[in-house]
Amino acid sequence: MEQLVNEIKVKLIDALNLDGMTPEDIDDNAPLFGDEGLGLDSIDVLELIVLLERNYGIRLANPQEGKKVFQSVAVMADYVNANRTK
Amino acid sequence: MLTIRSFASIPGGTDLTALYRARVGDYPKFFKMDTACKLGFLLAEQLADAPRFEPREDRAVLMFSTCGSLCNDRHYEESVRDFPSPSLFVYTLPNIITGEIAIRNKYAGETSAYVLERFTPETFVALVEQAFQDGDTGSALCGWVDCRADDDFTAFAFLVERGGTGMEFNVENVYGTVSQ
Repeated sequence: MEQLVNEIKVKLIDALNLDGMTPEDIDDNAPLFGDEGLGLDSIDVLELIVLLERNYGIRLANPQEGKKVFQSVAVMADYVNANRTK
Repeated sequence: MLTIRSFASIPGGTDLTALYRARVGDYPKFFKMDTACKLGFLLAEQLADAPRFEPREDRAVLMFSTCGSLCNDRHYEESVRDFPSPSLFVYTLPNIITGEIAIRNKYAGETSAYVLERFTPETFVALVEQAFQDGDTGSALCGWVDCRADDDFTAFAFLVERGGTGMEFNVENVYGTVSQ
């Protein structure tokens, strides 16, 4: 699981163009959205949805589902682990 | 009379991530920004005065350049070939620099972004002075952020205030300060 968490961090940084950020900068359990965490906002959700689909074959059709899945990198990793098709 | 409270500049080619880590370090949104916004943000961090993060209606943010958001526009254009990136798209407007600074510092005065043919102290001073004529502006963070490429830029800014004890904000002093 630790490997998947790190992999998701690397893909997040690439997908969201977080230039200069390293995986070590991202706390596994920190919220991805809002000032307390990574500082992402609603415009970034689309990038995360595409990230899940392209890399893990997961299609999120329901926006409410995204709200839960994108809480933190750790939650994303759990979700990917349980639902990935590739 | 308008006076210069403080001045900051970032030399071309500076490693902006290293500068952020050394001087700020607590604002992860920095990493999302395009290079022009990073420059504006870091200049504002150097010029920010106490008390920090208290809302103020009387501070304007005025940014000037020749390039506008051209540097990030190129990155966005590249992304369009594969997947048009929303996170890049939001930085394809020059005025987002002023917005990022205003959000971070809770400045609620006028924000304006000007795209000019070239930097001249005369135009710069005239446009900043104009901003003070609304009767509400008491100080302004005003700068030249010209980002030609991620490693090729000119960036400096003044904190200008009405009254104050610093040098007068005029063409001669602006020219002298930015020429140093």
